Amino acid sequence: MGLLAAGIGAGIVALGAGIGIGMIGKSATESIARQPEASGDIRGAMILTAAFIEGVALLGAVICILLALGIGQ
Amino acid sequence: MIQTLRRVFLTLLFLSVSTSNTFAADDAEGAQEPVIDVMGTVADHDYFKVPKFINGGKLYLPRIFYWETAEGEAKLSAYASTKKALASDEFIETDEGAIVPAGGGSIKVDLSITSHLVYFWLGMGLAVILTIMAASRYKKGIGRDVEPKGAMQNIFEVLFVFIRDDVARDNIDAHKADRYVPFLFTMFMGISFMNLFGLLPWAATATADLTVTATLALVTFVITQFSGTKDHWAHVFWFPGVPGWVRFILTPVEILGLFTKPFALAIRLFANMLSGKIMIIAILGLVFIFADLFGAGAGFGVGIFSVSLTVVLYALKVFVGLLQAYIFTLLSAVFIGMAAEDHHHDEEGYHTEHIAEEVSA
Repeated sequence: MGLLAAGIGAGIVALGAGIGIGMIGKSATESIARQPEASGDIRGAMILTAAFIEGVALLGAVICILLALGIGQ
Repeated sequence: MIQTLRRVFLTLLFLSVSTSNTFAADDAEGAQEPVIDVMGTVADHDYFKVPKFINGGKLYLPRIFYWETAEGEAKLSAYASTKKALASDEFIETDEGAIVPAGGGSIKVDLSITSHLVYFWLGMGLAVILTIMAASRYKKGIGRDVEPKGAMQNIFEVLFVFIRDDVARDNIDAHKADRYVPFLFTMFMGISFMNLFGLLPWAATATADLTVTATLALVTFVITQFSGTKDHWAHVFWFPGVPGWVRFILTPVEILGLFTKPFALAIRLFANMLSGKIMIIAILGLVFIFADLFGAGAGFGVGIFSVSLTVVLYALKVFVGLLQAYIFTLLSAVFIGMAAEDHHHDEEGYHTEHIAEEVSA
């Protein structure tokens, strides 16, 4: 059961992180297209926001690894 | 179905990455311990991994214990290796592999030097040495009176100016920013080296260990709190400009926020480096799963795909290693900047700078 939970969890984590980072990328490219002179600032803000999402997603991924390896049972 | 999946997964986890050793173990002893297992590769060890022809591939590191005997006497003991500690008859090994005092009592603090600690020192030491080398050049006037000389100094200057201008001065108040540049630069260089060390053969990634990243985040946390201004603490304990009852909700949230920031910082770096390592081992492990399930030919076929994918992943890991060092430094700077920010509130609780802008507009 732990393996099943880990697999489903990893899938949901990837889904959530993908949607989140995809939305950041979408709005960042749109803003750069609209205002190319601000691309440096936008890129910095994009990396920062993506890092926040990545942190949460990887927290989920680590829990999935722990579940899959049966650590803590 | 689940049984099959489980078997595949366990095969993936415990199959050795080293071909000759796997097959030798399968043929001869059968139930021998795996030569390289996933968690063993990323975990901390009491030895330093070196090429096989030196001392069988392991250089043992000193074990230092602060422990209490059964009579309650506190003792500090140091041994050259785990074997020496066991040979001294003062410690025994339990079935789980933990070291405990032989005559009862307990280990209070385990100060042993581990492989991740050595790589932490190597990373930080390399950062310090490079910085001192560059600093001695600037002292001589190279880079100030004349242009910087050589690839080393040029790369150093690019990195340093990047950290000073784009990380420190952009996020921390201008008159305070330069005070934090040494700390931020040390973090950036140290974490970069620690991340990149993990890509060398036999080496370990110190940052794929939660204790290392938690220590780094703790340093950021302490510096953030000590650079906090009056306004920072006012925002934490007595949020300006909100109705009184809201403060009962806001104050616990703000206090919690002080601790979640470094926590997220530590988890982010740790999980990024750990997942990168596990991903490479898992993709290389596919070769052995396919060889095990469908024969050596399938293993060879998958090997071509796996190895080329691993090469790409390695290139990605170089990028991710530098990016994570940058993100750790950037977030440290953002947190310090938020705490060290000087701003004033009028009686209504508005930030006065905003009022000034509105008036001028």
